[in-house]
Amino acid sequence: MLVPIFTLKLNHKINPRMVTIGKFDGVHPCLTAATQAGKVFIHNPHARGQRPVAHRLSQSAQDSDISLLNINQAVMCLTAGTLGPNSTGDTLLVGSQTNLLAYDVHDNADIFYREVTDGANAIVLGKLGDIPSPLAIIGGNCALQGFDYAGNDHFWTVTGDNVRSLVLCDFTGDGKNELLVGSEDFDIRVFKEDELVSEMTENETVTSLCHMHGSRFGYALANGTVGVYDRTARYWRIKSKNHAMSIHAFDLNADGVVELITGWSNGKIDARSDRTGEVIFKDNFSSSVAGVVEGDYRLDGQKQLICTSTEGEVRGYLPASKDLKGNLMDSSAEQDLVRELSQRRQNLLLELRNYEENAKGVSETNSGMGVIPANTQLQTALSVKPATETQKAHVELSISTPNETIIRAVLIFAEGIFEGESHVVHPSAQNLSGCVRVPIVPPKDIPVDLHIKAFVGGKTSTQFHVFEITRQLPRFSMYDVTVDSSAALPTGRVTFSINDRPQRVVMWLNQNFLLPEGVESPDVTFNSLRGGGLLSFSMASNGQITLRTDDIDLAGDLVQSLAVFLAIEDLSAEADFPTYFEELRTTLTEVDEFHSVHQKLTAAMADHSNYIRNMLVQAEDARLMGDLTTMKKRYRELYDLNRDLINEYKIRSNNHNALLACLKSVNQAIQRAGRLRVGKPKNQVISACRDAIKSNNVNALFRIMRAGTASS
Amino acid sequence: MELHLNRVDYIQVGVTSQKTMRLLPALGKKATQKVAIADHDGILTCFGMKKGEAVPVFKTLPGQKIARMDLGGAAGTPQEKIFVCSGSQVRGFTKKGKQFLTFEANLTENVNAMHVSGADLFVCASYIYNHYCDCKDQDYYLSGDKINDITCLSSENLSRLVPVLACQDRVLRVLQGSELAYDIEVPGPPSVLELYNRDIGEEVLYGTTDGKIGLVQIGEDSAVTKWEIDNDKTKGGILCIDTYDIVGDGVNDILVGRDDGTVEVYGFDSTNEPALRFDHVLSESVTSIQGGCVGKESYDEVLTATYTGWVTGLTTEPQKAEAGPGDEVKMSKETQSKVEGLRAELEQLQVKVLQGREQYQQTSQSSTAVSAVPVFSVNDKFTLCQDDASYSLTLEVQTAIDNVLLQSDVPIDLLDVDRNSAVVSFSECDSEQPNGNFLLATYRCQANITRLELKVRSIEGQYGTLQAYITPRLQPKTCQVRQYQIKPLSLHQRTHSIDQDRPMNRLNLVGQFSFAEIHSWVVFCLPEVPEKTPARDSITFYFHNTFLGTQLEATYCKGEGYFKSDNISTISILSDVLSKEATKRKINLNISYDINDDSVSHTLKMIHPKLEYQLLLARKVQLIDALKELQVHEGNADFLIPEYRNILDESANLLEEYKKQPAHLERLYGMITDLFIDKFKFKGQNVKTKVSSLLEILNNYDLNSLLEFFQ
Repeated sequence: MLVPIFTLKLNHKINPRMVTIGKFDGVHPCLTAATQAGKVFIHNPHARGQRPVAHRLSQSAQDSDISLLNINQAVMCLTAGTLGPNSTGDTLLVGSQTNLLAYDVHDNADIFYREVTDGANAIVLGKLGDIPSPLAIIGGNCALQGFDYAGNDHFWTVTGDNVRSLVLCDFTGDGKNELLVGSEDFDIRVFKEDELVSEMTENETVTSLCHMHGSRFGYALANGTVGVYDRTARYWRIKSKNHAMSIHAFDLNADGVVELITGWSNGKIDARSDRTGEVIFKDNFSSSVAGVVEGDYRLDGQKQLICTSTEGEVRGYLPASKDLKGNLMDSSAEQDLVRELSQRRQNLLLELRNYEENAKGVSETNSGMGVIPANTQLQTALSVKPATETQKAHVELSISTPNETIIRAVLIFAEGIFEGESHVVHPSAQNLSGCVRVPIVPPKDIPVDLHIKAFVGGKTSTQFHVFEITRQLPRFSMYDVTVDSSAALPTGRVTFSINDRPQRVVMWLNQNFLLPEGVESPDVTFNSLRGGGLLSFSMASNGQITLRTDDIDLAGDLVQSLAVFLAIEDLSAEADFPTYFEELRTTLTEVDEFHSVHQKLTAAMADHSNYIRNMLVQAEDARLMGDLTTMKKRYRELYDLNRDLINEYKIRSNNHNALLACLKSVNQAIQRAGRLRVGKPKNQVISACRDAIKSNNVNALFRIMRAGTASS
Repeated sequence: MELHLNRVDYIQVGVTSQKTMRLLPALGKKATQKVAIADHDGILTCFGMKKGEAVPVFKTLPGQKIARMDLGGAAGTPQEKIFVCSGSQVRGFTKKGKQFLTFEANLTENVNAMHVSGADLFVCASYIYNHYCDCKDQDYYLSGDKINDITCLSSENLSRLVPVLACQDRVLRVLQGSELAYDIEVPGPPSVLELYNRDIGEEVLYGTTDGKIGLVQIGEDSAVTKWEIDNDKTKGGILCIDTYDIVGDGVNDILVGRDDGTVEVYGFDSTNEPALRFDHVLSESVTSIQGGCVGKESYDEVLTATYTGWVTGLTTEPQKAEAGPGDEVKMSKETQSKVEGLRAELEQLQVKVLQGREQYQQTSQSSTAVSAVPVFSVNDKFTLCQDDASYSLTLEVQTAIDNVLLQSDVPIDLLDVDRNSAVVSFSECDSEQPNGNFLLATYRCQANITRLELKVRSIEGQYGTLQAYITPRLQPKTCQVRQYQIKPLSLHQRTHSIDQDRPMNRLNLVGQFSFAEIHSWVVFCLPEVPEKTPARDSITFYFHNTFLGTQLEATYCKGEGYFKSDNISTISILSDVLSKEATKRKINLNISYDINDDSVSHTLKMIHPKLEYQLLLARKVQLIDALKELQVHEGNADFLIPEYRNILDESANLLEEYKKQPAHLERLYGMITDLFIDKFKFKGQNVKTKVSSLLEILNNYDLNSLLEFFQ
């Protein structure tokens, strides 16, 4: 069994996911982590107490191995690594909600300190694509930004939602790194520099990503799922009731292939095979795991897996030695094998007994057994139900039995459309019948597999047959096809041309919408049940398709889905969404206003701090001169000033939050404009929009969003 | 003294009941012992180990489920005759498997406990005890509550055989012929009895369903409790006990098997107090346990049988680490042949199962055939935990569980259990009619989980049914529903006596009802009351509230019922439910109250220390983070006042304590509010509007102002 080779108690809390190891002097690895009160601690057991105490750095009073770094802001993310071309040691990068600090721990000096309006939720350091120098890439509110050694930003793009996790890996296998971005809209996006090459949709916020080997990477979601992807294909995943705090790739069993190490919120650490997800090792901490990293912490040339808990406990594990033969757990493999085989035998025997007893027929006495006619088959149907007075608009799944049997309960397991992972319908005993109608309201336009389990039996049964059926809910299920054309058509539209037969488009429509009879022509109008008005679809004989809707997100989804179905690589489009664009224009003016308010407030704050200094000196003077009345007066004034400052701070932070929200919506607008196109035209739109924003040319921005290009 | 035991799996049989595996006495000095085990398929298997492989000695044909097994034989000879009971029948087998006895006990109920001693046979079926000698009826006794186990003492000091019954109402009943000699109060419902020394002696070990163990010395007309082991770590209930000197120090150790899969060995220290020497967790209930020598000569071991029929040894034989030259772990020859044998068997089975599946599919074409899958066995337990006043529900199935659906028509809270790895998902509920669901939750289990543990918190006064639909991973897929009653006074527990000096409120019922009727109402209201109407004219039960420590006495007979409690809410709930039940049966009840105003302040004073402790704890916990931040900021904690430094020092303990009792404060507040409403309800005033000001007082809690508010 594998045991830790060292255990440390650091007496400092560690913020989850903010742990790294850096060789700040080029030789000695130091465990670095964010702790409470806006501080970062650096544990350096190798070079004891040699640090000068100045600037940001201070020695911890409790532990001589630990020095503390004052950031004075809540730390959001940190990492360490080689950033500069000729620096001897690693650079420490600390991201907060408003700033990014690059810091040289060895020289105790700031390398750069940049304001980042979009915040830094996640950070990664390394080379991206063809950009020559290593970049510190931060992910904030819908935006990604990469800084080089000098603090210049060399990389910028937008993504669908707030970024939660980043990793660099050679996804395409071209020898250059791509950037993988996990965000709060459940997507993992792959950027080849600023070009979006792939998108994988998960069912929760992607909280961690880690590179395994080659094009394989691990991921973790906020609902307790961890898994491994190879490019766009998911290899395996498992779900736990706990949350994965940190994932890391490390070859713990020394077989030459890395395993996925996961640190869980209940303090468990497990190592899983990258191929199957099978657990090969586990251990437990007494509190939640904060981070999992690796480094040569004993300076003996071997890398250790280093796990940290939020309470500051650190454990290091060496890869297993040869004589453990990959068997890292306590139990013996042969026993397990025998046990597993016996278990399988027992299962088969039980199943066999089921068939035998069934063939024997039923004893009349046992009515609780839930006898049903052998030819019972469940019928399921999906239909769109518009809103009525008593019920909201929904998709109805109806399940019915063909005979007198009843459905006791229905369990539906599906991802991303219910609050939890399942939905249950359990009629009361008086209302049992052979038919159950389940209203489903998918919150997003995603295709979902509904795994239905229906318990079928008699009214007084205590045992029921379980029917397991899987139905797919098409992507655009919340749209009701209408015949009523009197309603006003939406003002927003997208127009693009394709080189495909209308029949193919009809096929796409039938597959992606819930249509009771199916349609024959590609000219259809739907009513959005989520209250987004009408959606109309028309195709001219020359292959020009016009989509009319006021929902720019929906238009983007439709374009992307159609492009995937027809295998279109590049698609340019013209678009106009007057209402949305008007909103965006207002937002842009708001951004300007918030910026100016921000500047004013900053100036006011500087004034105040001058006052404070003066007042403090005056008050102390008065005290020294024994003039207590003046002193009291000064201090009272100081107190008032302090209160003002706090109020001002509140205003500032409100202003800042509003600004952030606006910036997020601007970033989202760019992303949305991009999603109306596919391939190259899409990237052109995004970069042109960026340029327009940089040059503050609002009119050009809208022109680009409409036409897809800057020039025209 | 350290004890290291290594786990070895021997064989798997069908699902087993409690105490259905025994070791046959060894023949020679050193030889290994044979194992006899009986299962729910009615098969009695006897096997011995040869070169690491289980070699069957005999195996009987399937039949009715076997509930118990015991060994016996003529006095003075080796006890190697095997007795099993199934239904109301007792059968005897020789060690070669020859059936020499079939005895029909002629009971209407199934035998669930049995003891054999020489020519004497003792059987128990729920409430009935019967003693036969040479298959002739001797004695008979009807117990007040369900009998869980029986054992029988024979000693030189005792003039006769002394049967001892373990009864659900927390007493051991010692019999003399057909009469009760006396009873012994034990701290929980006893589930198992075992003689401390099998051959002679008057000491009996008992284990309770709430996990306590004790030793009592049975005398002619009284008993002495020697020691008790509490269940501090809230492990599972005791299912089996044995004594065996596994440590090898010349003193018999106590081997214990629990229903959460824990196997424990208790040794005795110099002061003769039991001390835990070893524990191991198997993944399912341990139904039988015995010490002996099975796997290899001269290596003692603890042999266990689990619910799903695994016979597992924990042996003193060191596990050899065979490091072969190859990269793969080299398997011993025995294991290899074992694995090959299993694989071959699996292949055959697979073919058979495929055929079975096809046939089953074919029947679905026919319009006359029916599909009836046999009922699978579910081992479930729904018990009130005294420590945190919540119910724990454990479900165990013989194969892996796929998912469990929990449904409840009363508001209850589902708590997280650390040991449980299943992914829980709460579904939206429509608590309004027509469906009336207050809880719909699914537990999706990981692979190979056969046991699921849940915790449920109920509110007194709100009653209904909790249902669990269990679906195992077994084709054709079926699910079974189990129901659990949440009773109106769900947090009450039976107790032996109450403190009569407390100020009591009384509720008196007079009406035209029979003894059976009022008994059924009491069963409906309170847990741990036997369902059978007592064979007496009147009866008294005592209860205490596990959460508040208040008490209740219920005395009733035909046409009359008297209830008294120091908690006015308890009386209020009882009167509501009883009158509702009586109305249902159209019986006119004459209800009168005798409310003691002192009782309210008495109850509040009882709550006071709990509340104060919780408030203090909550305040301390709230401060921990801020203090820690200060500590980091300033570098040390020396500048803090001692009280705060103390909080910092004890922060880990405080947090753990706080985590252990989620929502404790809210529950206390809820009960005080109920108390307030109920107090004035009996005065005929509706004070619901004043509840908000009560909550305000609670937020700035002070006992005196609270007492004043209640005036």
